[in-house]
Amino acid sequence: MKVAYYPGCATHGLSKDVDIATKKVAELLGLELVEVEDWNCCGGGFLDEYDERAHVALNLRNLSKVEKMGLKKMATPCSVCLNSHRLATAKFSEDKEIRKEVTQRLQSASLQYNGTVDAEHIVWVLVRDVGVERIKSMVKRPLTNLKVGAYYGCQMLRPEQIMGFEPAYNPHSLEDLISATGATPVRFPMSTSCCGFPLMGSNPKGGLKLAYNVLSSARSAGADLVVHPCSLCHLQMDVTQFKVMEEFKTGWTMPTIYVTQLLAIAFGISPKELGLSRIALKALEERGIT
Amino acid sequence: MEAQTLATNLEQREITVRVKRFNEDKGEFWSEYKLSVDRFTQITEVLRRIKTEQDPTLAYRASCHMAVCGSCSMKINGEPRLACKTLALDVVKKFNTDVITLEPMDYFKPLKDLIVDMGDFYTRMFKVKPRLYPAEEVVKGVAEQRLKPEDQRELWKFAQCIWCGLCVSACPAVKEDERFLGPAAHAKGYRFLADPRDTLYEERLKILLDSSWRCTYCYQCFHVCPRDVEPVTTIKKTRAHTKFSKEKTDVMSTGERHVKAIYESIKETGILQEAKVYISTYGLATAITDMLHTMRNGKMKYALIREKKVNEIEQIRKLLGD
Repeated sequence: MKVAYYPGCATHGLSKDVDIATKKVAELLGLELVEVEDWNCCGGGFLDEYDERAHVALNLRNLSKVEKMGLKKMATPCSVCLNSHRLATAKFSEDKEIRKEVTQRLQSASLQYNGTVDAEHIVWVLVRDVGVERIKSMVKRPLTNLKVGAYYGCQMLRPEQIMGFEPAYNPHSLEDLISATGATPVRFPMSTSCCGFPLMGSNPKGGLKLAYNVLSSARSAGADLVVHPCSLCHLQMDVTQFKVMEEFKTGWTMPTIYVTQLLAIAFGISPKELGLSRIALKALEERGIT
Repeated sequence: MEAQTLATNLEQREITVRVKRFNEDKGEFWSEYKLSVDRFTQITEVLRRIKTEQDPTLAYRASCHMAVCGSCSMKINGEPRLACKTLALDVVKKFNTDVITLEPMDYFKPLKDLIVDMGDFYTRMFKVKPRLYPAEEVVKGVAEQRLKPEDQRELWKFAQCIWCGLCVSACPAVKEDERFLGPAAHAKGYRFLADPRDTLYEERLKILLDSSWRCTYCYQCFHVCPRDVEPVTTIKKTRAHTKFSKEKTDVMSTGERHVKAIYESIKETGILQEAKVYISTYGLATAITDMLHTMRNGKMKYALIREKKVNEIEQIRKLLGD
């Protein structure tokens, strides 16, 4: 199966390890990810507050490229990129004034969007199109002794009427994937709460508190580590987790890895090869996973 | 055949309803009820039948039964919803269970069973002066109050709030930050901020702007609103007015720098250059501290990646409206 792949800026930047694991897992599963040609930033979840029409136009440029590539789906590993593209297509189809102006802007850039492609989360493609059974069949190292917190965050789920893959208050995709690896999924009270990343751009203290709430909730529920589905959650809870821990003087850490990183480990790839964080490497080593 | 179809559609199904209850004498406790429902049975009807047929002590609020009065807000299988706008069998299907759990909304103080104290919600709403302050000539009757259709289109969606409190109950920023007004108040505030007939623009900026930068864009309010008001959209639109404010608080200045840096980065390269945006937003000192955290976690190697810029940058500039 062949789908267009939109990594997004963070996945090609500080969250590069999300990209590494996603590509490795896709390759092993026979899922061909074709990177969108000359893709641009989705606006990072912020551009629409600066210029709503520019946000829609930029996102439709990426989707128009996918149409030109002759593909039907654009999969992204980042929930914010997903949310951004899907909000853009929803606005484009529902708001005739936005549609009119965005169409003009697209035309001025010699672009055309026909509405045949929308963004999907890589998790949706894995669960629905590749299938949990196929994923299970690839597991070489069942993670049977691992209790894994399933953290969905926000933008892959909400608003449900636009994301649409699973009920925002009863999601199961990450638990399905965690179970496929042999690990035990742990649902914790803050499983679908915000990691605080979008608040870091204006009120960092508030943002860190939200991250702390999620990590400590997973810890209280007995998770050994947490998996998440977003390259920006990754920045907040993996890359700079020490910042959160220092702010709240926790004395503990909670390894937080991207969902395809967990799959890759179960498929037999070493955590070091995946370029995981030190926090995650240490926690996995302690459980004999190297 | 028609009668048969109707009979199938009206098939009864037994469900179990678990209600989280509270009163001052007993504190918190749970009660369980069983009853039959069909595909037309709203949760408010479920509650009415429990109260009239099984347990008169059960307390809940409901009035219009048509998603207008905003009285019957509660958590239904954990999801903040209006009971009247929720069909029992839809919940059974969505959650794949015959057990429906009803709880009072989060955040607000429970008074009795499913009834909560909405005082905090009303305080938030009144802080944004939730009414139109027309021009003096209009009040005196010497001028007409006019609203263009395009302005009405901008305001209509955001004026549909029924004060049900669901968005506030679901909002993580409200729980953490007392300076955040909350989603409903922002929707109401923006509805008047952007109303050309209103005369309190400067004052409304002072009330709304700082708070607007305290939202975390989690989309809970968008998701739970039974009237599709999209409070988070009004918060985004309110932030765009920051440039008209003379006084700026820390969160406003930081937020403004951040979004401007994102815009500039996209305009220049087509992508979001993390390091550049970071330094423009927080300054070099904070960026260095965070770099140390990144290094400590073995992630510094990714900060050194040279990001691939967009080739067709002219296209990007045209899309940005340049």
